[in-house]
Amino acid sequence: MFFLRTIRGLTPALLGVGVFLLIGAASLAALLRYSDFATWYEYVQQPYLWRVVRFSLWQALLSSGMSLLIAIPVASCLMHRRFVGRSLLLQLFSVSMVVPTIVAILGLVVVYGRRGWLNQLFGVEVPLYGLSGILLAHVFFNMPLAVRLLLQGYDLIPAGQWRQASQLGFSRWAAFRWIEWHYIKKTLPGAFVLIFMLCFSSFAVVLSLGGGPKSSTLEVAIYQALRFEFDLNKASFLALLQVLICSAFALLVYRMAPINRQDASLVTDSHYLVRDSNWAKGGDAVALLCAFILVIPPFLAIFDPIFSPVFLETVRSLVLWNAVFVSLKIALPAAFISVLLGVCFAVLARFCMDRAYLSKLPTKIEHLGNMILMVPGLVIATGLFLLLRDLGWGLPSSYWIVVWVNAVMALPFVLRALMPVMYQQEKRFRHLYVSLGVRSWARWRLEWPLIRMGVAQALGYALLLSLGDMGVIALFGSQGLVSLPLYLFQLIGAYRLEEGACVAVVLISLCLLLFYGSTRLVGGGTRVKH
Amino acid sequence: MTTSFSPFFSASLVTFGIALSPIVLAVDTLNVYTYDSFSSDWGPGPKIKANFEQDCDCVVNFVALDSSVGILSRVQLEGQASQADILLGLDLNLMEAAKKTGLLVNHSVDTSAVTVPGGWSDKTFLPFDQGHFAFIYNTETLLNPPTSLKDVVDNQDLRVIYQDPRTSTPGLGLLLWMKSVYGDNAAEAWERLASHTVTVTKGWSDAYGLFLKGEADVVLSYTTSPAYHMVAEGENKYQAAPASEGHYPQVEVAAMMKNAPNAALATRFMQFILQPGFQSTIATGNWMLPVVALDQALPAAFDSALAPTKNLVLPAKDVAQYRNLWVNEWLEATTR
Repeated sequence: MFFLRTIRGLTPALLGVGVFLLIGAASLAALLRYSDFATWYEYVQQPYLWRVVRFSLWQALLSSGMSLLIAIPVASCLMHRRFVGRSLLLQLFSVSMVVPTIVAILGLVVVYGRRGWLNQLFGVEVPLYGLSGILLAHVFFNMPLAVRLLLQGYDLIPAGQWRQASQLGFSRWAAFRWIEWHYIKKTLPGAFVLIFMLCFSSFAVVLSLGGGPKSSTLEVAIYQALRFEFDLNKASFLALLQVLICSAFALLVYRMAPINRQDASLVTDSHYLVRDSNWAKGGDAVALLCAFILVIPPFLAIFDPIFSPVFLETVRSLVLWNAVFVSLKIALPAAFISVLLGVCFAVLARFCMDRAYLSKLPTKIEHLGNMILMVPGLVIATGLFLLLRDLGWGLPSSYWIVVWVNAVMALPFVLRALMPVMYQQEKRFRHLYVSLGVRSWARWRLEWPLIRMGVAQALGYALLLSLGDMGVIALFGSQGLVSLPLYLFQLIGAYRLEEGACVAVVLISLCLLLFYGSTRLVGGGTRVKH
Repeated sequence: MTTSFSPFFSASLVTFGIALSPIVLAVDTLNVYTYDSFSSDWGPGPKIKANFEQDCDCVVNFVALDSSVGILSRVQLEGQASQADILLGLDLNLMEAAKKTGLLVNHSVDTSAVTVPGGWSDKTFLPFDQGHFAFIYNTETLLNPPTSLKDVVDNQDLRVIYQDPRTSTPGLGLLLWMKSVYGDNAAEAWERLASHTVTVTKGWSDAYGLFLKGEADVVLSYTTSPAYHMVAEGENKYQAAPASEGHYPQVEVAAMMKNAPNAALATRFMQFILQPGFQSTIATGNWMLPVVALDQALPAAFDSALAPTKNLVLPAKDVAQYRNLWVNEWLEATTR
């Protein structure tokens, strides 16, 4: 009786995950229906393909490794120190991952380019094109993401440990060595895989800053097969190859990774000081400087057009506000669906936690949600469209395809933000809830104040990602569906780079505003920490 | 009871009627698939829409895709069910692939007035604008601009940016340009070019953006690009480098869908393409050249783009047949 009731309580979650799986499998199947497996052997024999795979792997490894290496000291510093502009920096960090690539590239060029600030001020010329350019851009995009993910790991450190460290007079190094590292260690593999996949399938950055076809990724080949040749057969082969490589890599990392055991102890907002020293100060300064130099100048370059005379004119145009409206029309439902899916995944995963026969499932469920990152959005969207077309609802559905694909593409980020807090609640209060018979809505009401921060952050990520989406909307754009990034590309495509830069400012400001708004409204005002 | 109810009833009927009126009074709609900068507010789209709607009693609906290739892959995706009447903005080199989809139908437009070099005889595609690929340079920073494609390839001091032929039409244009100048020796030429190439970008926008930021001496674009800077910005420093071997052309074409939901209107629009109401918007809207002679002269800024040049063009059949081979040759040569 008890068991049946719990299962019934899980129905919505099972339904959510089921729908996600069903649509994913169906769109992949739709694509495979157009495939001719006999020709796949031919593709495998192309030497260029393997060169591309090798380079994709190599640059992704380097990019994700470097992002994390810089992120660790930065996160530690942000954890321990409170300074003016800290929260703004953190907001900026979350926006950096959605800056449209072309805008970010032009921003990087303004700073590091041949006639860039660095060269003008110090006479230093960075070899921007080639592997170094790719790394620079990838670290710009992903180091901030890594910092935020690590800070989430820090959140799980029980206050008691900090208190004790403070009482025992731990130095920063000792605190890091004996406390922080144990938590970072558990966060690292997930963050590493996430960033690795983002970099592995990176495409516009790699092409623009790579210097030539020598540095090309598998994603280019997929793009070409799908957009230039409409060769569904080749596209599905390449997409499957990408999934295969990424899953193999993820499997390898997770196999070596320590198991992420959740702690049940209480988290508080109080901030304990560990013993400061000149060494600690110096280390923090270096770390922060690194982060500042990497992230802030390109942002300043992006925001620079505010001072141009074109800015006011651009902001006043109706087309721009129309594009803002369309972007919101896509981003809001997409983010909502994404968080809903994320909650379904989390509820299911934490139900399986510490239960006989099921205890291995939670990480598997989490990985299932992450799988989506391995398949390019373009491929999912195409598969989904083909599926709907064969069912006879081709065109009118394109808006919902854009929304859905954006929602599932954001899922890995949503899960990263949501899972830790959800697990923690389960760990702490499961027995209490069970013994008191608190279920479903009653339980949600009790839990809400404790998880709303996580939900807010998940919503923020999903909003930002859908707001910045370029790939999927480009496939289905139409007169009524011109989003902000698409508008930006239209401007640049018509030589209007300056106006395009102004639109980019609007887009980024909107991202900041929405992220701030979601952490304030959903996350609940004063509890905003990072 | 009825007396108090009926005003409410009739009022709601009226509101309902108003809400539905766009559907009830629906005028014919012509769906034109095109690329985004064509249909955008500053492109030629809105003027063309207004000019055509003037006497057709219809609505022109532009569906803006992200690129020339985007138009083709969109209709391929939609297949028979496509709502498109007209495809506007395919490239010369996409014609063969577009024809192969079997989704297009012949036009019945008289093309004798078309001024494309060598004339126009294709029955499926109708040209609507033209230009030539060219390398653009900044006269203030580059004092010895190249005068031929060979100059661009051989001058090791020249920093070059071009587009990837796998992802963009200008990139494909350069591939064919190189092929028509170097023929079987293209691989070595690519290798020489690769040694002083700054970067190869995904599309035109990235490349041109990097060039304007001063990252390269020359960038692959169109002979008409300087006209934009002169007319819209009053800026004379950007110029197109001449190529003594001749330039490779870009001709953009339109075609009509076999299953066009509104075939009569589509036929009418195809006729309209070669008329002044369409052609006069091209120069300062799409920054390309019209394909028929117009009464009104183009702005002086276009003069250099109009200068006669040897037209290098490879047969569309060869392009379709060998494109993959040539792309692989480029890949091999530039990654060696």
